[in-house]
Amino acid sequence: MTRRDLLRGAAAGLALGLPRPAGAAEPDLAVITGEPGAAARKAVDALGGMSRFVQKGNRVVLKPNMSFASGPDRASNTHPALVRTIAQMCLEAGAEQVMVVDNPLQSPELCLRRAGVADACKGLKNVYVQMFTDHKFYREVKVPQGKVLDRVEVLKEVLDCQVLICLPQAKSHSNTGISMGVKGLMGLIWDRWSFHSKYNINHALADLATVIRPKLTVLDATRALTTGGPGGPGEVVKPNLVIAGTDPIAVDSFGVSVAPWYGQPFKGRQVEHLLAASQRGLGKIDLEQLNILKATA
Amino acid sequence: MRTKVQVFSLVLFTILFALANYRLPDWLPADIYLRLDPLLGLSAILAGRAWVGRALWGLVLLVATMLVGRFFCSYVCPLGAILDFLDPVLFRRGKRRTLESDPKLRNLKYVVLILFIAAALMGSSLVYLLDPISLLTRSYTFALLPPFVGLVNILLDAFRPVAEAMRWMSIATLSYTQPVFYVSLITFLIFAGIIALGRLAPRFWCRYLCPLGALLSLFSPLGRWRRTVGPECSACGLCQDACPMGAAIDESGTRLAECIQCRTCVAECPQDVIAFPASPQLLPVGETSRPDLSRRGFLYSVAGGVGLGFVVQQSPFTPLQNKAQLIRPPGALPENDFLTTCIRCGECMKSCLTNTLQPSLWEGGLAGLWTPKLDLRFAACEQECNVCGKVCPTQAIRSLGLEEKTHAKLGTAVLRKEMCLVWAQDKLCLICDEICPYHAIVFRPIDGYRRPFVVASRCNGCGYCEQRCPVEGESAIVVAPIGQIRMRTGSYVAEAKKLQLDFKPNPGDDQFILKTEGLKVEPEKHESGSKAMSPASPSAAKKPKGFLP
Repeated sequence: MTRRDLLRGAAAGLALGLPRPAGAAEPDLAVITGEPGAAARKAVDALGGMSRFVQKGNRVVLKPNMSFASGPDRASNTHPALVRTIAQMCLEAGAEQVMVVDNPLQSPELCLRRAGVADACKGLKNVYVQMFTDHKFYREVKVPQGKVLDRVEVLKEVLDCQVLICLPQAKSHSNTGISMGVKGLMGLIWDRWSFHSKYNINHALADLATVIRPKLTVLDATRALTTGGPGGPGEVVKPNLVIAGTDPIAVDSFGVSVAPWYGQPFKGRQVEHLLAASQRGLGKIDLEQLNILKATA
Repeated sequence: MRTKVQVFSLVLFTILFALANYRLPDWLPADIYLRLDPLLGLSAILAGRAWVGRALWGLVLLVATMLVGRFFCSYVCPLGAILDFLDPVLFRRGKRRTLESDPKLRNLKYVVLILFIAAALMGSSLVYLLDPISLLTRSYTFALLPPFVGLVNILLDAFRPVAEAMRWMSIATLSYTQPVFYVSLITFLIFAGIIALGRLAPRFWCRYLCPLGALLSLFSPLGRWRRTVGPECSACGLCQDACPMGAAIDESGTRLAECIQCRTCVAECPQDVIAFPASPQLLPVGETSRPDLSRRGFLYSVAGGVGLGFVVQQSPFTPLQNKAQLIRPPGALPENDFLTTCIRCGECMKSCLTNTLQPSLWEGGLAGLWTPKLDLRFAACEQECNVCGKVCPTQAIRSLGLEEKTHAKLGTAVLRKEMCLVWAQDKLCLICDEICPYHAIVFRPIDGYRRPFVVASRCNGCGYCEQRCPVEGESAIVVAPIGQIRMRTGSYVAEAKKLQLDFKPNPGDDQFILKTEGLKVEPEKHESGSKAMSPASPSAAKKPKGFLP
């Protein structure tokens, strides 16, 4: 094989989104400073572009936070511009359909309107923004690695899609300390109240993370709600960061480091549900072990 | 022509009904049909002894009836349209003979009208029972909408596999929230009964029962476009058989009060001698233009109305009125005014975003039948919605801006410690705190555990805590009418300020998480699988929940 052939093959492989040749390793995390849309695009590009995750004809599910009837200023929902950018990138990578989903805590219609995601995604063909508040849209799956959960009803769209991308908002949470990618998975299941009342929520979350595995997590830390979460209002700081990675624990762990929570600095290891998830082997929690690319959009 | 107008009116009524939801723009009066009904406004004003601004619209219909005649019944009334459209579908033509008791039955509607007016003068608004617009809106809300949505969802479910296969995702993911009401059957039976009466005579309801028709018929003979029959009339009687109101009588006469100007007789007449010209005479002449209720009948009706009005106020259910823990919609008038002003149309319950507004049966006294109350265990009152007041045609629920509505305190959440997981079982649970939009729930250290308390001055009774409380069955935190603000006039914001209430979302509360004073200092017990919350050790207590040292 000539050098030229090798390059050609590599280029073709890149174009087709096939696994890259070894050595062209992407960073574990891309941490980009900037506006939500631009930073998100740069972050995903830094990881090798959307075609690394989304193939032609794929059905993609995006899971932002949009379960509170409030706008971006309150920082309880993902910024609509970030959601739109990622949806657009999925389409550019050839996605057949992009379903933007959540199971809201307030009236679904109000959340759709106030969170601004539905408006932001208007005009994007084959992108649907939908709240799933009916039981019939959920299907039970077993949790073989579960410690407290043995089965859980998950949104069918998520089970049937090829690619799940989580787009969490960085925020505090009165019960789990912080709410980012892993905690956001609770918006994809039917019975959330048992997490609060029946199980140890931190371990239930780690269990849930063993069955719902996003291919990519893009954390919106352009604003962070550091008190009063998950719904706010509370103190909002502006780290101006978007953090992307394939390892959901690593992304969340970095997210913990971007702001003080309830006035105190924490490490990912100190967040009980992240620690539990990393102990199940779901990802790396220590930032020292990660290859982090930092840039500005 | 008439059918077209009827279809238009019925469609308009239905569209306005559909538009009555939280997105309703302020300029659009979705309740316009109810406002135009002069009987509803009149009854609310008489019973409530207070002016109702929106009732002025009723004058429009009264004046129009005086000028034109009783066109409302044949062209505009949506219930009349439904009866007309269903008549050929449900009943065979030609089988119904004129009822022998027709002249007596005809007076029934005046009896009904006088009964309701007398009851209203007694302070009991009962007209809602038989007013056609209130009755139809209510039937739409409780009896027709829920099964309709259910049916649509069943069809969508059946079609879903196809939509999924065809990748029609908007349809594949479509499902409508099912409205739920407790009195669907009763309401439906009344509605169906009115339609079924058509078996005895066409427009049986309009001829014999409708109190609005009765009211309008008092004015309609003044209308300029009166039915005339030419001298060439051969008295064939075809018009008598065809007239849906029985207004055409033999020998060229017309019961002007009954005539709804539908012009069925014009089309039917073989000699083309019937016409509706603009009459030169201002006042009609003749016996046939007046309702002939005897003096005795009139007195009986008044006595009946007075009696009925009294019974409603003092029935075996009346004591419930004071004991009932009914939570009324935000902006509802003081209870007595509310009961007399509410016309039970159900428009507020239809438009309620969360479906928490439910009709009462007798739990608030017999006078409270079908009045809206909040079922907060079923759903909470959404903070960002104020539609119930917007659509209330008599303003028994005042139309309030969101800021005012937030301050129209519904009641106060009360913790039932014997049922609360934290108080009774030392379990770890803070859902009420998490869901409260106003941080009205605080945790204080008691016996070594952090236990929830309600800060009454921050609770506006929205009921999210009651709805979401994970205790099975009845909630361990219940909104009671304690401290509710009910005012006829004035600003709720000002009133709340006066009472030192504060419904501003306040995040400063998180500080309690960090405080350690008063917490039991014990070595941490953490049995796996144990649901009991571990008493906070000093080191753990320094961290917010969810964090490890």
